[in-house]
Amino acid sequence: MSSPALARRRLATFPLLRRESIGGLYHVLTFEDRAGTHALPGQFTMVRGAEWGEAPLLPRPMSYLTGGNTPSILIKVIGEGTLRMGRAEPGEPFTLLGPLGQPWRSPSPGRRTVLVAGGVGIAPLLFLARSIAATGAPKPLSIYGGRSAKDLPLDDELADLTELQITTEDGSRGTRGRVTDVLGELLGPDREVFTCGPDRMMAKVAELCAARDVPCEASLETPMACGYGVCLGCPVPTTDQAYLYACMQGPCVDARRVDWSRADHAPKKGATQLRVKA
Amino acid sequence: MSALALTLGGLTLKNPVLTASGCFGYGLEYDDFYDVAELGGICTKGLSLHARAGNPPERICETPAGMLNAIGLANVGVETFCRDKLPILRQRGVTVVANIFASSVADFVAITERLNAETGVAAIELNISCPNVTEGGIEFGKDARMAGEVTRAVRAATKLPVWVKMSPEAGSIVGVAKACEDAGADAITAINTIRGMSIDVEQNKLRLANRTGGFSGPALRPIALRIVWEIVGAVSIPVIAIGGIGTTRDALEFMAAGASAVQVGTANFVDPSAAKRVLDGLRAHCEAHHCDVQSLIGAARG
Repeated sequence: MSSPALARRRLATFPLLRRESIGGLYHVLTFEDRAGTHALPGQFTMVRGAEWGEAPLLPRPMSYLTGGNTPSILIKVIGEGTLRMGRAEPGEPFTLLGPLGQPWRSPSPGRRTVLVAGGVGIAPLLFLARSIAATGAPKPLSIYGGRSAKDLPLDDELADLTELQITTEDGSRGTRGRVTDVLGELLGPDREVFTCGPDRMMAKVAELCAARDVPCEASLETPMACGYGVCLGCPVPTTDQAYLYACMQGPCVDARRVDWSRADHAPKKGATQLRVKA
Repeated sequence: MSALALTLGGLTLKNPVLTASGCFGYGLEYDDFYDVAELGGICTKGLSLHARAGNPPERICETPAGMLNAIGLANVGVETFCRDKLPILRQRGVTVVANIFASSVADFVAITERLNAETGVAAIELNISCPNVTEGGIEFGKDARMAGEVTRAVRAATKLPVWVKMSPEAGSIVGVAKACEDAGADAITAINTIRGMSIDVEQNKLRLANRTGGFSGPALRPIALRIVWEIVGAVSIPVIAIGGIGTTRDALEFMAAGASAVQVGTANFVDPSAAKRVLDGLRAHCEAHHCDVQSLIGAARG
């Protein structure tokens, strides 16, 4: 696995260039960064309104949708911070700390890429799909799932860049069911999966891939205060009975490292202390 | 001596702006942002005798103008710190305050003795006030007799300055602070986080796996200020303030209450260069007012 050199992280204030409301609770926020954001697909940024004052206090971890002079993020309004982002007007200043974390590993030349996205998890996968398109490699296959047709932001762009299948739980678009109901058909010895979405979805994707011996890379999402390795608020249990920190060792990791049975639900108080990785 | 330098319990600091334990890693995570050797000092993540993995997730959640954390003192252990982190900090000229944690007096002393063997540790800060571990921790900090006992044992074990970090949950914080002073502490740090809780009402589920977590951030500031004020009035050793400090104005407020120095904590999460901003602002303040930091300490006490 090659590890590309990562750009120096910086905290900078950028004006919001535009906010596109793309239906339901989803928005794309694009910022103006004249110096340029040297983010790789899969990396993330901590985003906060420069005029928020002391509440909401913490920046929000967001995968880059694009980098360069117009870094952008995809948000779903779920709380106070994203509510403000979803109302922001062009010109409003935001602070972005980034680029942070481990990017997606480079797709293996000998394997066909399969992207598996759930909801806003599409953001880092679209970034990856664009970079794959730029190399002239074969179009990735992809599956994109949501609860209903309303929960598939940016599906048109994914359709342009990949051979896309859609699933919805209510059957309002594509195949009724979940991404994992159709994933089996796309797995094979010459395939490689990249996934981002809810933990339960990624756990099932990881399980299917492991059973077929297909490499699987997952982008983890956890609460996070700092994004750069000091708050220690983002531990993810690993199969070797330790934790990895999603901000520094992730968010993109080999799915086989993650203990998905524990990632999804916190053990009860009093559970055995896990050992620290050396 | 520059206008920002000060002597604090026998230790000379470049300036009165430090970073708080648990909010600054080991000081080696900031290479992309600024030279942490500029600061008055850094307080390390709490070091225990052996490495600790910490609590299961979820460990943190946001609250109005603050946050809760129940990290559980995840740390590399004193041995790894001395081997892998301290040499780099020492070489860079960083003023290192080793924050240490144990569940017994004997282990506090053992960690201290390990640190005695190293150069490059400027002071030891005793964490007798962590709210997030079941054994030891806060129990030492709630009781004046036990706090005094730990302080006395560590005092006897080292020549380094000893600071003791107060819990806001002690019945009589002033009583604990005085007991630590009597036991030979060189300075008092106040305050650690105060236990809080948060529930996700949509799932009727506690947000933290540990159920409770330490509350920190700007919302804590008025409580911290009141406690610092009380301790300053009761002890004659220096008091180092901590609690929601994120701007120069906040630092000036605590110094006016009598704090000799400040620690920037949660604000580092919002902005990695928060402590440097506080320091730069303090320097500008002293230049604009033609004063040194000594004149700021206790300015509001009359």
